[in-house]
Amino acid sequence: MTHDWQPDFEQLVDEHQSMVFSLAWRMTGDRGLAEEIAQDVFLEMDRHLAKLESPAHACFWLRRVTMSRSTDALRRRRVRGVDLWVEMKEQHGLALEPAPSPLSNRLEEILASLPEAQRSALILRYQEDLTPDEIAVTIGAPLATVKSNLQRGLKLLRARASNQLQEFVRSRNFAGEAQSDGRV
Amino acid sequence: MEEFEQELRQSLERRPAPPSLKRNLMALRRQHARSRQHFEWQKLAAALVMAAVLGTAALWGGHAWEQRISQQKEEQRQGEAARQQVLIALRLTSHALNHMNQQLAAHNQPD
Repeated sequence: MTHDWQPDFEQLVDEHQSMVFSLAWRMTGDRGLAEEIAQDVFLEMDRHLAKLESPAHACFWLRRVTMSRSTDALRRRRVRGVDLWVEMKEQHGLALEPAPSPLSNRLEEILASLPEAQRSALILRYQEDLTPDEIAVTIGAPLATVKSNLQRGLKLLRARASNQLQEFVRSRNFAGEAQSDGRV
Repeated sequence: MEEFEQELRQSLERRPAPPSLKRNLMALRRQHARSRQHFEWQKLAAALVMAAVLGTAALWGGHAWEQRISQQKEEQRQGEAARQQVLIALRLTSHALNHMNQQLAAHNQPD
């Protein structure tokens, strides 16, 4: 099959590095590892450049390979007995990066605690704005599984977020009461 | 739920990649291209060496084959000559025996 599109490697890197890096970072929770994964993904793309048929195909290919590489990296780390998300808080904390709001930071942290399948579905849905069908094609999972992961993940995320919010409000109230008692 | 999803969408906006990513990537790509080129030269050199070895082997094999054929022809020729000599000797012997047989027959005839 022939195609007229001539991909330019540097241009593709410029266009998609933020997507690839963000996907890998949110999947693994390790900034350094995410950078390594992004490098590997782009170098692999360089080797398969002739097979890419269109900008949309390149984007799809990058998403798919990034998700698969990130899952592999998580699996390797699990085998080695390292908990990435504990490591992340200690070394490469997401909070180091400026996020739009404190709640956003909180949501990212809670998202990180979700099971891998639910996390990947939610990241692709809300970071990449993909439909469940597109997510199913990207990660190679049945549509029903993706829908279920999205629903369960969202429910779990919401429940954990409201718990944390209640704790946050309670601790603020407690701190406020203690301050007013001290003044008296 | 929609408000929550909106908040989630905002919190999951793409983060900018570190500048080192592209810099390292381009350096790695150049390095890979160089090693690929080096590998191509190595492949070419290996192909030339292989061709030379195969060519020499073919020449040597051809020469050996010719030698064997000519040796076989020489042996065949010598064998043929020996056979001819044996036939001549047999013919002479047969002739001598016939002669002797005739003489004996003449001697034994009653007068």
